[in-house]
Amino acid sequence: MKDWAFGLTMTIAGMGVTFITLYILTLVIKLLDRFFPYKEEKKEEGK
Amino acid sequence: MSWIDILSALVSGFTSLTWQSAFLILLGCVLLYLAIAKGFEPLLLIPIGFGVILGNLPLAQLASGEGQTGVLNIIYQAGIMTEIFPCLIFVGLGAMIDFGPMLANPAVLIFGAAGQFGIFLTLLLALALGFARQEACSIAIIGACDGPTAIYVTSKYARDLLPAVSIAAYSYMSLVPIIQPPIMRLLTTKKERGIVMAYEEKKVSKRVKILFPIVAGLITMLIAPMGAPLMGMLMLGNFLKESGVVGRLADVSSGALVNVVTLLLGLCIGSSMLAGNFLKWQTILVFLLGLAAISLDTVTGVLLGKLMRVLTKGKINPLLGAAGTSAFPMSARVVQREGQKANPRSFLLWHAIGANTGGQIGSVMAAAVMLAILAGMHIPPL
Repeated sequence: MKDWAFGLTMTIAGMGVTFITLYILTLVIKLLDRFFPYKEEKKEEGK
Repeated sequence: MSWIDILSALVSGFTSLTWQSAFLILLGCVLLYLAIAKGFEPLLLIPIGFGVILGNLPLAQLASGEGQTGVLNIIYQAGIMTEIFPCLIFVGLGAMIDFGPMLANPAVLIFGAAGQFGIFLTLLLALALGFARQEACSIAIIGACDGPTAIYVTSKYARDLLPAVSIAAYSYMSLVPIIQPPIMRLLTTKKERGIVMAYEEKKVSKRVKILFPIVAGLITMLIAPMGAPLMGMLMLGNFLKESGVVGRLADVSSGALVNVVTLLLGLCIGSSMLAGNFLKWQTILVFLLGLAAISLDTVTGVLLGKLMRVLTKGKINPLLGAAGTSAFPMSARVVQREGQKANPRSFLLWHAIGANTGGQIGSVMAAAVMLAILAGMHIPPL
């Protein structure tokens, strides 16, 4: 594989995977927040 | 033994001093000056600067690297060549980081990806300049704005470049407040920089804070296992802190452990900066490419910020994109300062810290993908 092809592969795969992973993490955080919202915790403390 | 022999033995240190060693000792003194007088990353530049002086003393056997036998070399081989030091520093970093702002506003995570673009653009530049693939990856990773990650990748694939890459990575991390603002001002109008973003300190439940390092760690490490040593340690450190039941371990990780490792790491890196492997044109190119990497990170981050400003109809301040690098918390502070210069009512720190912690995760992901591709192509270390 030529150097430029290696560089392009690395750039596309690297940026693609980084963007996708961080996007998945965004969704995971939203999901976690939906399952465990802050208010619920306060109610539990109140009990 | 004649008096002349005794005298020559006593002055052998002076007579063995070459101009190259003297120059590097002087460079070590400059690093100490920058750390003390200018306040540039003193925690790192003082051990590195002192290490440079010790490593270049003739006949002292305090240098680190290939063929060396002194005490600092033992620490170098045990801590850097085995990749233990970068991993331990990540435990400390994890224990210091508060993912709260990012968990409260996960949309800013995307800036953490844009802030890594400079890594890959620099990789292309380094390849175009004739560097070997392993060297190009090691140089490009300076754009992660993250010393331990740069050391981790370089110690795996291009050990000869380790002194230059690590000094460049740490120097540019400390120079972020100087490098980023002109680029931010060049790419944005005063009106854009002055956009006030809605500030509402959204509370995040303790459960989310505890679960995040486990869930995020699992996902990222399954996607890119090559980055697991760094990501795993980062998430471990954060879990120690957020679990709330091992305060002593969290305190040690974010205090004593990270301080001791930083001292030893700095000393070893400094003592490996020897004339043979540092005083060459290649080093200057590494420094120039490192500067390009961090500048390009800022450019791509701000450009994504501008795009987000358009997509959200003016709700996002484009400066936020500059905080997508993992220079934590320097980039976030720079964004806050530049935003307030343009509009004193603007308060971007909360959002910028979120993007900055996203950059921390993004930089490890970028490094992990790089390592995975190098391993997948069976490219051997140099």
